[in-house]
Parts: sequence; C-alpha cells; structure tokens
Amino acid sequence: MRRFPFTRAAILLLGLTLLGAGPAVARAQQTAIVRGTVTDSVSGQPVNGAQITVAGQARGTTNDRGTYTANVPPGTVTVRVQRIGFAPGERQVTLTAGDTTTVNFALHSVAVTLAQVLVVGYGTENRARVTGAVSTVNGSDVANQPVAGLDAALQGKAPGVQVIQNSGDPGNGITIRVRGAASISATNQPLYVVDGVPVQSSDFSQLGPNGQGLTGVTGLDPSEIESITILKDAASAAIYGSRASNGVVLITTKRGSAGNAHFSFDANTGWQQPERYLSLMNAKQYVAFMNQGAENDGESDPFTPGVDDATSTDWQKAIFRTAPVGNLHLGLSGGTDRLTYYLGGSYFGQTGIVLGSSYSRASGRANIDFEASPKFSVKTSLAYSREDDHRIPGDNSLTGVVTNAIGEASIYPVRAPNGTFAGNDQNLYYANPVAIADLNNLPTTTDRFLGNVEGTYHFVPSLSFTGRVGTDVLTMNELEWDSPLVDGTYAAQARGVAKSGYSTGSQYVLEGFLTYDHENADAASLNIVGGGSVQYNTDQLNFVRAEGFSSDQFHYVRNGTVITSFDGLPFNNNLVSAFARANYSWKDRYLLTASVRTDGSSRFGPNNRYAVFPAIAGGWVISDEPFMGDFGRKLGTLKLRASYGVTGNQGLTGDQEISDFAYLGLYGTSNYGENPGIAPTNFANPNLKWESTHEFDGGIDWYPFGGRLTVIADYYHRLTSNLLVNRPIPATTGFATYWDNIGNVLNRGFELGLSSVNVRASDKNGFSWNTDFNISFNHNEVTALFQNQPFGDGDNFRPISRVAVGQPIGEFYVLHFKGVNPQTGDAEYADVNGDGEITSDDRIDAGSPQPKFFGGLRNTVSWKGLSLGTFLEFSYGAKVFNLMRIFADDGGYNYDNKFTYALNAWTHPGQITNEPRASFDGTSGAREISDRFIEDGSYLRISEITLSWRIPDHLVPVGNLQNTTLYVSGHNLHNFTKYTGYDPDVNSNGSTSNIALGTDYYAYPRARTISIGVSTNW
Amino acid sequence: MRTRFFLAAALITAAAACNNPLDLKPAGSIPEQTAISDPVGARAALFGAYGGLQSLSYYGEDYPILLDLSSDNSEHTGTLTSFGDADLNELRADNETIAGIWIAIYDDINRANEIIAKVPQVPGLDADEMHEIIGEAYFLRALNYHNLVKVFGGVPLRLAPATSINDPVGSTRASVADTYVQILKDLDSAQTFIANADQTTQASLGAVMALRARVLLYEGDYPGALQAAKAVEDLGQYSLAPNFADLFSETGSPTPEDIFRIIFTAQQFNNLSFYYLFDGRYEVAPTPDLMHDFDPSFDPNDDVANYAPTDKRGQWSITIEDDNQQGAKFRSVQGTEFPHVIRFAEVLLIRAEAEARVGSLDTARAKVNEIRARAGLAPIGSLSQTDMINTIIDERRKELAFEGDRWPDLVRLGLAASVLDIPPQQTLYPIPQREIDVTPGLTQNPGY
Repeated sequence: MRRFPFTRAAILLLGLTLLGAGPAVARAQQTAIVRGTVTDSVSGQPVNGAQITVAGQARGTTNDRGTYTANVPPGTVTVRVQRIGFAPGERQVTLTAGDTTTVNFALHSVAVTLAQVLVVGYGTENRARVTGAVSTVNGSDVANQPVAGLDAALQGKAPGVQVIQNSGDPGNGITIRVRGAASISATNQPLYVVDGVPVQSSDFSQLGPNGQGLTGVTGLDPSEIESITILKDAASAAIYGSRASNGVVLITTKRGSAGNAHFSFDANTGWQQPERYLSLMNAKQYVAFMNQGAENDGESDPFTPGVDDATSTDWQKAIFRTAPVGNLHLGLSGGTDRLTYYLGGSYFGQTGIVLGSSYSRASGRANIDFEASPKFSVKTSLAYSREDDHRIPGDNSLTGVVTNAIGEASIYPVRAPNGTFAGNDQNLYYANPVAIADLNNLPTTTDRFLGNVEGTYHFVPSLSFTGRVGTDVLTMNELEWDSPLVDGTYAAQARGVAKSGYSTGSQYVLEGFLTYDHENADAASLNIVGGGSVQYNTDQLNFVRAEGFSSDQFHYVRNGTVITSFDGLPFNNNLVSAFARANYSWKDRYLLTASVRTDGSSRFGPNNRYAVFPAIAGGWVISDEPFMGDFGRKLGTLKLRASYGVTGNQGLTGDQEISDFAYLGLYGTSNYGENPGIAPTNFANPNLKWESTHEFDGGIDWYPFGGRLTVIADYYHRLTSNLLVNRPIPATTGFATYWDNIGNVLNRGFELGLSSVNVRASDKNGFSWNTDFNISFNHNEVTALFQNQPFGDGDNFRPISRVAVGQPIGEFYVLHFKGVNPQTGDAEYADVNGDGEITSDDRIDAGSPQPKFFGGLRNTVSWKGLSLGTFLEFSYGAKVFNLMRIFADDGGYNYDNKFTYALNAWTHPGQITNEPRASFDGTSGAREISDRFIEDGSYLRISEITLSWRIPDHLVPVGNLQNTTLYVSGHNLHNFTKYTGYDPDVNSNGSTSNIALGTDYYAYPRARTISIGVSTNW
Repeated sequence: MRTRFFLAAALITAAAACNNPLDLKPAGSIPEQTAISDPVGARAALFGAYGGLQSLSYYGEDYPILLDLSSDNSEHTGTLTSFGDADLNELRADNETIAGIWIAIYDDINRANEIIAKVPQVPGLDADEMHEIIGEAYFLRALNYHNLVKVFGGVPLRLAPATSINDPVGSTRASVADTYVQILKDLDSAQTFIANADQTTQASLGAVMALRARVLLYEGDYPGALQAAKAVEDLGQYSLAPNFADLFSETGSPTPEDIFRIIFTAQQFNNLSFYYLFDGRYEVAPTPDLMHDFDPSFDPNDDVANYAPTDKRGQWSITIEDDNQQGAKFRSVQGTEFPHVIRFAEVLLIRAEAEARVGSLDTARAKVNEIRARAGLAPIGSLSQTDMINTIIDERRKELAFEGDRWPDLVRLGLAASVLDIPPQQTLYPIPQREIDVTPGLTQNPGY
C-alpha cells in the first residue's frame, strides 16, 4: 500500500475546511445579529468573559465592556449567558434575517461554581451537569506568580492535585500527582491538553544537573490562560484513555470577543531572597569539632586552633543574593461579529537567588476565530515561546554551587590573597562554589511552537463535525561550559569541558469528531461525541562533548581538542485512537455519561497493541426531587455523583530507545576502541501491554445557603494494575532490569473543596469576604508485585527508597537509629532480626515521602476597591530524607562543614544526647545511613499575601484607563516546619523520579519574593 | 458539503491506516534475531564482549578501585558512601557499587554466552575465524567467572543465554570448587580454539596460559600454577618493560610486558586517574601504610611531604600533590590508559610464589629479583620459605598496587581479617541484595 504522509492529510483537511467556508460566506446575509450588554446586577459593572450560547451553540464571550455580538440563524432562539460566579441568564427571542436585536442581561452574582462552564475532553459541560470529579482553577489564580510554570502556580489550588516543587531553581521541572502516584516505573505526570490538543510535557534536557529537569509546561505563559480544568477521576479522563491514568490537565487560553479593540496590561517586579539559611558551623566550631573527632579516635588533630580557624567564611552568604523577578504582559482582543481575536505577548524574567542561575521567557499568542457562516467556523490558536534558562552546573549533585556551599568547611576563604578564586593552593576540600557559579555556565534555550487549527461545521444546529490539526514543536539547545579554572573538578584535570546538546520534540495530532447536541427545553438533553485521532511523536537528539581547551576564554565544543562523547538519534512513537461519549440528562436532575476510547500504541507489540478504556458516570440532583419538597429548597442544590472507569498508561520512562521498543529483544552498540561492537541491551517482552487504572469515584456537589457555599467532596478508589515496571531481574541473565506488567498500586482518598461567600457585598463598594479551602487525603499502597519481591531505588550510595507490598511507593527503608549509647557515645542501631549483627536485613520501613493530607486556604477581603488576599498552603505527614546530613552530620568522617546541631555530640560517659560522638575515622556509627536522617516534612506555608487597590477610573489621569489596579504581593513569606533543611517540599531526584521521592540532596532553596505590580485596561 | 466532510474524516482515517503509524522500527538498535547472523555481526559481538570490560562498574573504575580500597592499599577520601563502607570493611548487602560490579560482570558473561551459542551457526563464517571468536569468548567467560569467584565465592554458573527471565539457573550458587572447574574448562576450550599468539588488547594464547596460572594460584594448586606460569615464560615472547612507568602510558603504548590489557579511549574512557588524582575527584588515596611499604623510612604519622621512596614503583605509583598523597599510577587526562588484566610481571610473581610454595626457594628468589631489579631495588638474599612467601606477597602488593589485586590476595591467603583487623565475614563481598531479592533460593554469604 502506498504511504500516505499525514502532512498531506492535514493539508487535505485544511483545504476541505476552506472549501467548506467558500460557499458558506455567500449565504452569510441570511443571518440575524443579536447583541447586548451583560452587567452585574449588584454593582452595575460590565461582566467580562461571559459565555454566550445561542440555540445551544457557543457564540463567544463578552469583552471588558460586557458587550457581545453574535451572528446567528433567524428564528426563535434561546440566548443564554453564563459566567463563573454568576447565575446564568436565559432569554428567548425571535430574530429576523438581516435585523439586529439587542438582548441585555443583568446577572446575579452567586460566587459559586454551579454555573461554571467547564472544558472537558472534546467539548464543554456545565458544572451542574458534571458527573465526574473535575477541579477548575481560574487563569487569574496562576497569573502574576513569581514562578515560571503554571504547574508550580497550581500548588495548593485544587483538591487532589499534589504539586511538588522539587527544587527552587528558576524554570525547574515540577512533579505533579493527581490523586497519588499510580505507577512505579511509567510516568506519573498528568497529560496536559492545551485548547484541545495534547502537548509534550516530558523532560527533553540532555545535559545538566540531577533533579533540575525541564518540563515542556514552563513554555506556556500563565497570563494567557483563561482557565484550567483538571479531570481527576477515570470517568472524566477516560475520553483521553491512553495517557489519562495520571489525570488530565485541560488548559484553555484566552480568546477574543466582538467589540472594539481592548488592551490589557500587567506589569510586576519583585525581589527574591532565601526564605531561610541553614545553621552551619563557623571556623572555630568546625576546627574544635573535627579535632574532637580525631581525639576521640586517638588520632592527632587534623587542624590547628588559632591558625586554621583564623578566618571564617559563610559560604551560604557567598552564593546567595537578592535577585529580581518580573513579568510584563500586554494583551489585545476584540473583533467583529464574525472574526474575533486575542493577541498577547509576555515577558517573564527571573534571576535566581543562587549566583549564576536565571530564567526568562518571551512568549506570544494569536488566537483568531473566524465564523465563515452560521454553519462553519474556524478556530486557530498559535503560540510561540522562547525560554532562556541558566541552570547551575552540578546543582543537586556531588559538586555544585549549593552542594559545595554547604559542604565546604568555613575555614577556607572564597578568594586567594591575589584576588583569584581560592582553590587547591588554599587547600579547599571541594571545588569553590563561587568559582563554579562564576566560571561555569549552562545556558539552555528552548523554542516552542504550539499551533492548533480546527474547523467546525454545523450540519444542523445540533450536529457538527470538528476537524483539528495540532502541532507542538519544541527545540531545546543546551550548552555547557565547565571551566578549567575551577580547581577540584574534572574540567580542571581535562583542561575544560564543553558540551552541546540539541533536542527536538515534535508532536502532531490529527483529530476529527462529530458532536450531536439535543436539548429538549426543560426535559431531556443528549450530547454525543465520537471520533478518531492519530498522534505522531518524533523526537531527535544530538549531543557532543569536547575536552582540552587552550584557554578559559573558549567556551564551545569547536575549540576543544578531544571529543569524548557524542550522540545523535531520532525516536518515534505513535498512537491511533477512536473515542465516543454520550451525556444524557433529564430535567437536569438525572445525569448519565458513558464513554469509551480505544487506543493503539506503537510501544506495544502486536500481541497487545490495542486497549479499550470504558467509563460510566451518573449524577442525581436529589434536591430537585419533588419528594424533597420544601426541604430540598432549604437544603440547597445537592447532587450525588458516582463514576467508574478505566484509563491507561503507556508512559514508559528511561532510555527512550528501550522504552519505545521494550517488547523487542535488542542489540545496541558496544564498541571496543576503533572496533565496532554490539551487545544485548534489552530482553524481549512480547507480551508487554497497557497499564490500566480502574477507578471508582463517589462524590457530592452541594450548594447550601442560597449558593453562598459550595461543597464539592469526592471519595475515590483507584486500583492500577498491570503496572508497567522496569523491574529488577536476576542480573545473571545479563540484564539488570526488564519492562514487565506486574503488580498493583492502590490509591484511595478523600478530597474536599469549599468555596464560601462569607460576607456578600451589598453594592460595588461594599465589604465582601470570600474563602476557598481544599484538602486532600490520599492513601497510597503497593498491593502486589512480581512474586511480591520488593525492590529499591536510591542515589549513588545505597537504595534508601523502595517499593514493597503493603507500603506506599517510595517508602524509606533503612536501619533504625535507637539512640546514642551514653557510655561510648556510639550510635546504636536496632538489630531487628536479632542475629547479633547490623546488616541490611535489619532495615525497617521508616516512613513515607507521601503526605497524609495537603491543601490550601485562600481568603479574600474586599472593600471599596481595596482587596486583601492571603493564601496558605499546607502538607502534613510526609517524611523527608535529609541526605545532606550524610556529610554534614556524620561525626566528622568527611571534611564537610557540619550543621551546628552536631555540637550537641556526645563528649563524656553518662551524657544523654541524640548526637553520636564525633569520630574522625567514622567509627562512632554517625555516618551510617539510617532513619536518624529522616525528618518530618510537614509544613504550613504563607504562600501569598496580596494587597491590591483598584483605583477609581476618574482618579486615573491618563487616557481612558479602566480597572487600574496597584498591588503589592509577598510569596513564600514563611514556612512553618520542623524540617532542618531549606524546604521540605523537595525532591532532589526530579520530576522523572517515581520511587526515590522526598530526598533533599542539596536542593536549590525556594525564594521568598516581595513584588509590586500594576494592571490596567483600555 | 456534508459528504465533503465525511470524505475528510474518511481520508484522515485512511491516511492513518495506510501509514500504519503503529508499525515502527527502532532507530538506534537492531533486533536480537538478526544481530549475530553474519560474519560482520559475529565479529561485532566479540568486540562488544571486550567492550563490556570497559564498564565503569568493572575495569573502567569500580572493580580495581574497590579491590584496593577494601585492602590496606587505599583509603577513602571522597564522598561516595558505598566506597566509604568498602574502606571501613563495613559493607552491607545493599551496597550499590557492589551491585554494579555484579551486574557488569554477568552482563559480560551473557555477551560471551551469546557468542558461544550463536557464532557456530553463523553462515559464511570461515572456520578458523569462528574458532578464534568463540575461543576468545571462552577466555572472557573464564576471566569473568574468576573475577566473581575471587570476591564473592562460588556463584551461579550461567553457561548459555537465558531463555526466560525466570529460568532457575541464577538461583543456585555453584561451590567455589565447581566454579573453578568451570573456569579451567573454559580456559581449556579457549586454548583449543584460539590461534593468535600476539594480540595484547584481545585474548591470545599467552593470555589464556597466563590467566590459567593466576587461576591455579588462587585455587591453591601451586604445582599447577608453577607449570602454567613457566609455560608462559617458555613462550619467550614476553619480558618486563624496562621502564615501569611505560606500562601506564597515557595512550596505551605497547610494552613487551603486555599480555592482555583493555583498550580505553577518550570516548570509552576509564575513571582511574580521575578517581585517584588530587586534581580529579580524589575519591580514593594511598594509605600511609602502603607509602611506608614503598619507603620504609617514611613514618605513616609523618607529613606526607617526607615520602621519598627509592623504589621506582613507589615513585610512580604515589606522588604528593598540594600536600596530599595521591595514587598516580594512572595519570591520563581523559582516562585513556590501557590497564592490564594480566601482565608478565604478575606471571613472574605467580611463578615465584608457586616455586616458593613447593620449596624451590632459589628459583623463587631469582624471579623476585627480576621484579626488584626493574624497580631499582637490590636483590634479596636467601630467605626461609615463610619469609620468601611473605616477601613475594609484599612484592605483589607493591608491583600491582591500584590494579585491584591486593584485596583478593589477602582473601586467598586468609590474611584479610588479621591484616585489616576486620570481622571474618567481611572477607567475602555480599551477594548484592537486589539479586537476593529477585532470585528466590539464592543464598547470601555469611554475615550479611
């Protein structure tokens, strides 16, 4: 069969789409125009962004003046307007062809989510009719945050969505878990869908520091986002079957509405500092401590008091700085009744609080909607972004800026007497962290294009076809320079190391689906969606590394003498899918949704290539039942929901060549000198198949007190089975691991979201107080493994995290510290099996990195244009393995600087203390990896306080500015925690780590930020 | 119009179907079925098996370094906790470096097994070449199993590629004796099939014979070791490199002493210099005790600046940099030396020890003095048998320092516990915990 390139199909589709537009234009004059203004019934202010629906068809949104214009077929139609926070308005009007009819609405503020229109997979849904577990976050809640990515900005804002910052470096990849980690080796990150098209969110970085992954999500500018919907339960997500088992994050960007051109402008700037410093020993304390350790072991003093401690350096002060962060955004929207546009441009710049790190992003978006005829419309969404990210070489690893600032003893100077960086001549034990930050660099530029064109044709008002082509093209260019001038690094030995990495990731999606919408006045409504999709993923990487430079003035591969490493390879994997969904509702009281998706993935062999993901969900608005009578009205709207569905995961991780073809036995390259050689790389598993998640969700949506309170609560039970695990196998086979479907993971939990209008404003200058609160409890447990064999994961010393039946993923599994023997000062560890020896058989389950519960609390108080918002974020019950203590609380075995609490070390018999005696030779047991280093990671963070003032328009002297607002914000102001490191919200293994979680290996700390800003419109 | 859109939908579907988007082939790998199916593939598989020795968990870094670190030759000066545990002889079964070594060696055994199983069936391969390839694979398998048995004791003997992940071969550890039987059997096969006499970066007949001498010495078959070592000498093709330092040339320049050594290049690098040198990672350093052995006038408690050995090996192997002693045997910038798996000096020392054991003290003394002469040391005179053996062991320590021989020497001689003052159960490495966890029935060494 002849190959038919998909691009040709795309062109054909577009051509057909335009062909369809042609004749439609000719009939445009047969339409009627409906227009009007939408205002707030209390304040009289225009309502911006209200959705207009005419005859069941979305017809755009109101602009900032609250006006709308829609071109619709003549006849008697229902015009419906809805906006988050308002009760919807609905009017029936009779329209005549060629005439203009004005329909104005005054909406009642309800400040609840009942009226919300949610974006769901392949369509929209009114909150009142939602049957699954769906959370929404407003675009304004993620805009103007001093973080690069919207994923970071989501922290604490949606129940069931756990956001782990991993590390505080600008632009860092974030770990997100929707309803807990379901997978052991396959990806646990949710699927991101922007304007209907799935986008790439994996880490394309080839270079660089551990734990500082980059995710594709940072390329999206939060100020362009209108709303975010998170599909949490299987029933909601199953329409995205294939990669939906970790939840789906649907991002809708801003669109224009008919009216005059309207500008919006935002600018803010802030100052960041470390939220806290660690308490490390000064030179005198260090010398005394180390000498004590030597004396305890009968060794001579390694340091001379009065000489070696003559100067004392605070290395943290040497690498941290007060750094600026800022954001500029200009948006333009408007349009005619047939063509609307939104154009936006933004710049976000962040200098890191650690020397040498920074991040910036410039981005632009053009969303243009064209209604060729009442029957045919085209939507285009085009976005481009460029990110410049300067990471710090070696951060989160054994040699890095933060690492060495903590590890380097305070007895050494930053600079040599001659002004150069101190190094070997000054006996620095580790590479000088200031020199690393100053002389080395790791700039990364990422260009990203997101383009999405879709055409919708309405055969009749109730039946339409949508064809869609989506592209996501990303190129990442990474350069690294490790200067030969940094003593104590490999680059010093090799006379400089330069690296150049170039990666591209391309994803093309072709989709077509039919939508049938039938609304029978107040009785039944039926919505059916069905279609197909093909997704092509093509990635490519190139890499070269050179060593041996004549001078530090050269920074690039070209000038090296020896190429020591190189790579160049394309990767492909594709998905073919068909899907269908039906929503039925009767009197908006009985709701039923059923969906099914079939996916085929190139990642599985012919035996198990396809999988089917069905789901069913029902809702019952019990408060509307006649038998509830008056009680129902007093109770407020109460909907009971239940759903059950299956979703899948094919997100094999790790070496992509293996993960794309794990079902095949493979040979790769293993050269020997100049002789080309081959060697086995993968043991075939022809029966590898989809990982699947079966989830039950039961919940309520309740709107008591006349809708002033919203309660959305869910209980869920997710069982993930056929886990895709790169499981350890007997290495005697020649292979250490092998992709297999083994075991089950259970997540069950409870989520609660509350939204309350505590005090409702009597008029537009009145006093109001709103509170939003969410909390999530998740129980994560591995319920089965291959022959129930546990296995571990860790860093380059010892597996400290593991997967074992009956325990959460990533349970810490180490020796148990019993205390310090008051007679000897030695650390004592529990001999669990009583064999008289402390061995790896004496390890115990020592705590989980996963929190028992987490959430957020937002309060907003407004009065006469003044508004005070506070946002608290919390997490309880997670444990953190403070790996820094292996070196900084080891009794003096390593030459690293020590935390000051080591000064409580045992010194004399009879002393009761928890700190083992100092020991230069490492004989006191202080260096043993045990639960002594595991700490409580619970925290309550003052995440944000913002005070804003909306200046009355008549006081603004310039032009006709409207809604001008000045604000001052503080972010990450304080973190209440017992954790002794910088921040317990940490994961040094980065966003791609599934098992080793909650470890702090010299993570880049998060900043405290104070910022001021202004926003205005004209 | 309606039909046009259905047509579009149909075409998309058709496009997808015709392109068969799910039928993809890997870009950077080849299927196992066709990997070893022609002469080119057979040769490449052999090179791949040599390539396995380069692993950083094996000869490229961890294996030789850890085996000196566990002994009295090296001490831990870096940050890797798994190295620290080896230095203190406080290994635990979950030590990641030990697991890496185990995995790397069995990986290479599998490469040899693939060759032994598949190369004889390759069409179009000339019989001589086929014999050479499988002969070298037998040699590599013998070397790998010996490298396992000398640190772990008896191990599972996998002699053919695994047909299933769950096949039970890996569950049973052969006894130490049976492991040695298999190693010697593989060496017999290697000697039968290998024809070449002069390669040094691949196995030659001389390499097979030299390895046999080492294996027999470790097994305690001293007359056998004596004969095997003598046979290597009798080939007449090897002699000591006149200048000790030439053995560790940065670019792997050949010397007459080379029997079998491993190619490393800037791309396929070793980390030996990086881990030992002060300007590198300085993960490990020589012990003052070893410095004292090289320079008897050096007091281990002295300032290291006083270290001034007359022994040329001491001068080359340990130097002082910024007031710190460093292991300087390997000095290349990019890790491009060709470290020896076995060299002629070791054969002479095997001969000397075996002669001493069987009572031929004069021959033993002559062989030791050859080694000492190259080091610039005066010859030794007559010694008692015990003193002679101790002297030879000490010469082995100095000659082969940082080449991964000291720890297995201490273990085979039963000296590890007394020399290092450590519990006897730390004289065998633990079978990696990850292997115990996934292999029901596999037994751990005592004490772990």
